[in-house]
Amino acid sequence: MGALAEILFGGLFQGSLYAMMAVGLALVWTTIGVFNFSHGVFMMLGAYFAWQLVEVGLHPAAAFPLAVLATAGVGWLLQAAVVRPLIGRANLVLVVVITTLAAGSLIENGVLEIWGPRSKQLPPLVDGNTMIGSIGVSLHQIAIIVVTPLILGALWMFLTRTRLGLALRAVAQNEDASQLVGLNVTALYGLAFAIAAGLACLAGIFMGGYRFMSPVMGADPLLKALIVVVFGGISSISGPIFAAYLIGFFEAACSYYFGLYWTPALLFAVLILTLMVRPEGIFSSRGRGLA
Amino acid sequence: MTPILTVEGITAGYGRVTVLNDMSLEAGRHGNVGFFGPNGHGKTTLLRVVSGLLRPKAGRIVFDGEDITGKSARAIVGAGLIHVPQGNRIFPDLTIADCMSLGAYSARARPHEAENREKVVALFPKIAERWRQRVRTLSGGERQMVSIGTALMSHPRLLILDEPTLGLAPRIKDELCASVLDISKGGVPLIVVEQDIEFLLELCRQLYLINHGTVATEIKPGESIAHAEIMSMYFGQHQDH
Repeated sequence: MGALAEILFGGLFQGSLYAMMAVGLALVWTTIGVFNFSHGVFMMLGAYFAWQLVEVGLHPAAAFPLAVLATAGVGWLLQAAVVRPLIGRANLVLVVVITTLAAGSLIENGVLEIWGPRSKQLPPLVDGNTMIGSIGVSLHQIAIIVVTPLILGALWMFLTRTRLGLALRAVAQNEDASQLVGLNVTALYGLAFAIAAGLACLAGIFMGGYRFMSPVMGADPLLKALIVVVFGGISSISGPIFAAYLIGFFEAACSYYFGLYWTPALLFAVLILTLMVRPEGIFSSRGRGLA
Repeated sequence: MTPILTVEGITAGYGRVTVLNDMSLEAGRHGNVGFFGPNGHGKTTLLRVVSGLLRPKAGRIVFDGEDITGKSARAIVGAGLIHVPQGNRIFPDLTIADCMSLGAYSARARPHEAENREKVVALFPKIAERWRQRVRTLSGGERQMVSIGTALMSHPRLLILDEPTLGLAPRIKDELCASVLDISKGGVPLIVVEQDIEFLLELCRQLYLINHGTVATEIKPGESIAHAEIMSMYFGQHQDH
């Protein structure tokens, strides 16, 4: 009973973080058709923004939304600087991998320069600890488990129920036709990047509340998010969300039964198997398209 | 009547390949205009330049007195020039209802959304039955109806159709041609690219034969044209049959 509870809780918690990260990657892929390798850096930068705002005396309830907005702004700018000018190139996907990696590396070192290498920590979303059955958990973790589906649900509603969300989905499916109904494709690209960066910032805030922050804190979540989107399929945003939780549970079960040491190896084994059996991802159909 | 669209000396292409070579024409002085001619000679490229998807290397395009050369596709849609591209590859995973909302996205079209939706439903009752269905699940003819319907939702002042009947079965094609005639009767001027000359002759009073990226022949209103003559334009010599 204790094992199951621990795996369930661990899976839900890790899955929430992965989902938050992976959805942003998927959003950018489906709308623009590029992989954003600075996504992990958005997460780190968001956490540092939040830390700085809390440090100058803002209440977390004000600091966190401000940090999300600021990171979204950085996402928009980064898109305008290193993605938009390249659109239309034949080798766009590869070039953008390089430019976003480069930009990410610059930001990472900039953060190191500004905030220094010393680890920092954010206040948790909710203070305190509690017991679920026999396992002790922090309220911060529970808050993450509760808040993540709400935010992803809101994103889902935005994409499926609003005209702007409809426009984003349209751009993801057919760029020429989108232009011919008068959509501002460049602005929608910027919006996709900004939303992705905002979500990454939230993931950073979640993570900074229970682990120490460092300028390289985004690297591992980016890798996990990549695994999630490859596993779940990148042609939609619901695929990665389900995959994120599945991988969360898988990791929790692996670390419980085989230990933390074996978990990454097993994870990659599953990934390779997925790529061999269903290269388009387990929840996916071929082709791009949001929702 | 002044022309609604004037194309002056347009040169355009992709990369180093030039497709349109100093092309000039006028549309709308005598009602609908038809373009025809062999494939790969610049009809679709011309339409892409006109609707702002492709920037011309030289030349000028004037829509209803306004110079729209080099403007964004969005601005051109905003001005009321609506282009239905070839091949009904619209938004495969959106529903028909979604497509219609997108059609009414521009600020110009939004106030007319309800009124235009009624028009589309009246014109294409077939797609009205499938309002919540995804476009990818529709037949080729139905998808073409969605494409044209979406364009009508944009409240066009000039509607450009690029081979609307391409690849359709004869019966569906006849239905669609009838609908296009209805649109024209409703007062929207049309520019239509078509391989079916009979249909073009019924719809348009002015035709352009486009060949080698330029206007090879203009058929003005009142000039009658024999089928054999058109065939000769296509094939470059008189045929005996």
